[in-house]
Order: sequence, then C-alpha cells, then structure tokens
Amino acid sequence: MMDVIQQLREQAKKLLEEKKVTLVIGFGQGTELARTTPVFIDSPEGVSALTWGPFCANNLAKYLTDYKNAEGNVAVVVKGCDARSVIRLLDDNQISRDKVVVIGVPCPGQLEWQKVAAEVKPGASLKETADNGESFSVKTDAGDYSFNKKDYMLHRCLVCENPNPVISDITIGKELPVKTYEERFAEVSELEQKSTEDKSAYWDKQFSRCLRCYACRNVCSVCTCQICVFDQMLPMWVSKRTNLSENTMFHITRAFHVAGRCVDCGECDRVCPMDIPLRKLNQKIHKDLGDLFDSPTPGSKPGIPSALGEFSPGDPEEFM
Amino acid sequence: MEARVVNKGQLPELLDKLAKDYDLIAPVQEETVVLFRKISGAADAFLEYTNSDVSPKGCFLPQNEKTFNYTYTGDSIEINKPEGAQKAVLFGARPCDIKAITTLDPVFEGEKFGDEYYSGKRENTVIIGLSCTKVLSTCFCYAFEGGPCDGTGSDLLFTEIGDKYYVEVNTEKGKALADAYSQIFSSQGAEQLAKDKEELAKKLAGEFVRKVDLTGVKELLDNNFELPYWNGDDQKKCLGCGTCTYVCPTCHCFDIFDYPTGDFTGARLRCWDSCMYPEYTLMAGGHNPRPTRKERVRNRFMHKLKYHLDRYNMVGCVGCGRCVRKCPVNIDITKIINDLKEVAQNA
Repeated sequence: MMDVIQQLREQAKKLLEEKKVTLVIGFGQGTELARTTPVFIDSPEGVSALTWGPFCANNLAKYLTDYKNAEGNVAVVVKGCDARSVIRLLDDNQISRDKVVVIGVPCPGQLEWQKVAAEVKPGASLKETADNGESFSVKTDAGDYSFNKKDYMLHRCLVCENPNPVISDITIGKELPVKTYEERFAEVSELEQKSTEDKSAYWDKQFSRCLRCYACRNVCSVCTCQICVFDQMLPMWVSKRTNLSENTMFHITRAFHVAGRCVDCGECDRVCPMDIPLRKLNQKIHKDLGDLFDSPTPGSKPGIPSALGEFSPGDPEEFM
Repeated sequence: MEARVVNKGQLPELLDKLAKDYDLIAPVQEETVVLFRKISGAADAFLEYTNSDVSPKGCFLPQNEKTFNYTYTGDSIEINKPEGAQKAVLFGARPCDIKAITTLDPVFEGEKFGDEYYSGKRENTVIIGLSCTKVLSTCFCYAFEGGPCDGTGSDLLFTEIGDKYYVEVNTEKGKALADAYSQIFSSQGAEQLAKDKEELAKKLAGEFVRKVDLTGVKELLDNNFELPYWNGDDQKKCLGCGTCTYVCPTCHCFDIFDYPTGDFTGARLRCWDSCMYPEYTLMAGGHNPRPTRKERVRNRFMHKLKYHLDRYNMVGCVGCGRCVRKCPVNIDITKIINDLKEVAQNA
C-alpha cells in the first residue's frame, strides 16, 4: 500500500500548493500500531502525515459539515462506504459540491484494531501493510504478521457493497471487483425469525447496557441536526437518566431518524464502548427499504430519493 | 503489613459466602463487555479480564442516583430519602481503578462539601483489589506512581500466584473481613508468596510500552490557559461524545434534575454528566462557558492534569488507558501529556 500512500501525499500536496483546497482531511498514524487517527492538513509540508492501509476505519465524511461555512475548499479521503456519506450529505444540501474535493481510495476492507493489537507485540511500530486478497500482511519492527480477513476484518467489511468510492474527484489506487453478498442481511433475518418476546428480550439486554455517551450519534455522518433532540433541555424529551425505557427511546428514535438516510457505514456499531450491535437496527431498516420500496442503500448513487422523505400520490400504502 | 493466603480452589466458596453476607459487586461479562454488577455468587463473576470496559466507580457514584422522592401534599412537600447504604464488598477491582476511587474521595468527602450518598457507600464497602497479571499496550498506571500490583486504596489486595492468592491486608476493615472468614484466609506460606509477588510486580513493571512523562506539564498549564496547542487536531477530530468521560474512573461530574413520576410525585436524581456535551454548565441565561469543542477538550485535560492537582494535590488520571482504547478517533491523553511536555521544554 506504499504506492497508494505516496500518491495520496502527492495529490494532497498538489491540491494545497495550487490552492484548490485549504484543508485536507485524511488518515494519519494513530498512537497504536493498528489505529489511525483523523489528520487535518493545511500546508503542503504537512502531507507526510497522511497514510493509508487496513486501519482506516473512521468515516471522515463526518467532518465535512464542520467546514461547510469555511472560507476555502476542503479535500477529504474516503473509502467506498464513506463516499456514500458524501453523496448523502450533498443530497441533503448539507454541503455544496463545489466546496469539496473527494479523494477516493478503493478499499479492500478494514481490520478491527483491537483484534490486531491482541496479536502484535506491544509497542511494535508499523512498517508496511499489503492486501493479499484473503488476508492482509502487516510488517512491523518486531516481526511480520498476517491477518485473514474472515476473522479480523470489521464485520461491516465482510459484506461490503461499495469497495470503490461511488463519488470521487481524484481516485487513488486500483479499482476493486464489486461483489454481491446474498448473506448481507443474514443476521437481521435471523433476528426476524424470533418471536416478538424474544426480540424484545434481545434488545432489552443490549439497550440496558447503554451508557448514553452518544458516540453512535456523534460519529454518524448523517446526524446533522444543529441541536439534537437529546441535547435539548427545554423541553427535556429524554432525561440524562439511563434506564431501559430512556435508552430504548434514544436508540429507536436515532435509528428511525436516520432511516432512509443511513448509508450503512457501520460507524455507530464500531464506536460503541458497550458493544451494542447498533448496525443491526439500521440494517433491519435497510432490508425493509429494499423489500418494501425497492430502494438501494442510501448514498450508493446520487439523487436516490429518501424513502421516508418523499411523498408520492400513487403510493400504494393502504392507510393513506 | 499482614498477609494471608487463599487457595484458588476456595475462591468460589469465598465469593458465595460474601454474596450471602454482603451486597457483592464484582466484574461480570455481558457478551463481549466486562463491567461491574451486583452478583449472587461465584458463578456470575468473571475474573479473567485485564481492564474492564467500564470502571467500578459506579459502586460509589452510580450513573443514576436517587437523592430523594418528593410528594406534594397540597400544602407542603414531603421528602423521603432512600435507605442508607447496604454493607457491600467490591471484589476484583484492578489497582488503577481503586486508586481512582482515592482521587474521588476528596471530592465527595471533603470537609467543606461532604456527600452523604457517596460516603455512606464508601464507609460500608470493603474493597478487595485484584492485581493485574498482564499489562495492555494502553496501560500507563506507572506514570502516576501506581502499578499493576499496587494496593493503594484497597482494604485487601489479592495477587494471583500459581494456584494461590497472596492477600495483603491493608486496612483494619480488610483485616476484619479476613478474620471473619478465617477458614478461607490462612497465613501459611505467605512469606514465600510475598517474594513471588515482588517478582511479579517487577516483571510487569518492565512491560509498559507507553512512555509518559509529566515533567513541566502542570507548570505549563498553570501559566498558559490560552495555549495555541489547544487549537490543534485534537479539538478538530473530537466528535463531542461522552465516551472518554463515562469510561473514565476518575471523572465525576453529575447533573441534578427532577424526574416526575406523576402530577404530584417524583424523584430528584443525580446522573453522570460529561464536559464534552454542549449543554454541560450551560447557564440559564444562555451563556455557555465552553461554547465549542476546543474549550471542552481543553477542559477535560486541564481537569486531569491541573485542576485536580490544584484542588486535591492528586493527578486526575490513573493511567487505566480506557479513554485511549475507547475514543472513536484516537484522542490519546498520553500523546497530549508528551506533546505538552515538549511545548513546555521549547517555551
């Protein structure tokens, strides 16, 4: 992946030198071998901080709305899934097209850093990574490792719809083959088979653990409200009290508020400190969107009407 | 220092007895997450963990605490306080988390502002620590004079050595508990185990990979509230979630509000709050002393590295590494400490 990193830096440098953008948002090496961290580069000299590899899980499109009123233009490094966020933000009029330069990188999947960290010698530093199809090789100063994708990749990457960014001004790296996964909704289907009581018990168990840290909401690229209903003090729709009732209220509201706009980037699921499988909630909605509205994953191409944001007089829904 | 020995095989018996005689709070595993819950016996406990996902601070400062119930009776308001704290044992907490409790003590048990809810639980709880057997890449307790086998704050400290636990008796409270279960706490072989424990502590001390040096950091922050450093990437990448503060064993901010349960009844609650939230310390008139993420991020680290020291002469961080592990965007207090140290050196 060294060539991708090289090209990324060159392109970012060019954009900044030619003053096409004033800021490049990309991935930089994090404080753990298997982690990256968002970097915000505003000078051509700073581009050496940019990196790429199988540890770039974050969806950087989240930051675009922070700069929608900034003076200059912003470039952002996106994977396939993150690119869906860019399209969705454009379709929602959250950002304007002429202010954003999309640097798309075809993505062979992202590894779960905790799983990698458990195998690699603590304190080792990263030298190089490579995609070998079924696995990633990770070279460190304390030895070389191989991580097969099946066991070490983020769950969302195992059924990736868009390895190639669906919107991109500058594409870096080779386009990857697109696969369709019949088992994309396997986990949701399994949950659907359960009785109402069992489903309720399943989610009660999950939601009762919630700390209400709001990481799932804050990391969400399509959570764009200026003041979230859960932060409002007057009236206080949901209190700071954590209990099953309040937590459930929060999670169901969150899931429905992004229904039809959620791009299935899986970030809510990744960042939950309590490992609540939040993506399953949104995936149920995605499955229904497909089954009931024949609607593709939001953001997978420009101009898809939001299933819950459109009204058609010819809607066959009986109760209308 | 007195010491005892407990055979590992007898631990289930001890936990079952403790659960019968006390409210027993111990680490449990829920799916992939390790957290502290009240358990009914040894079968519920999960001790094969290194650092729990949530710290045991909730034993003394629960995320939700009812301070009283109120009923409006027409001409007056009736206030009913909940019953006092039950006798409890916190078993299996790691040294960093116990040290964290000692950083909460002066906040809630100070002469000026004693807090009966906290101190009631604190007085009635025996803390039984469990030394670490591993060091994670995110651990840095050594930087705050702690250690994987450090007994600070614990009443008893268990250290696993082979098929035994070496038990240090650190307080009278701990001694009373050990004496009450004298058929389980023996004194045979304690001397040899004491040496083994020292060896283990030495071995683990060499396993830390994070270099954290606080030299000059406090002095820098004392004199520079408006440090350009806080305009950097950390405030740009911070998502403003409360994960770091909620998993932190020393964060202790709370919000107080009434929770009506009917037209004339309700409860006054205090619940964890986070300085990362936009409504934290928002004034009734609309003024927000920390209007953007920059001020909020600065506040969190100033609190850990300066304010807590100013007030209580203790660093507000114990090096458990939870915020480092859990931050969605890899904001890392060890990097911030080292960066600040560098800023101080170049100043």
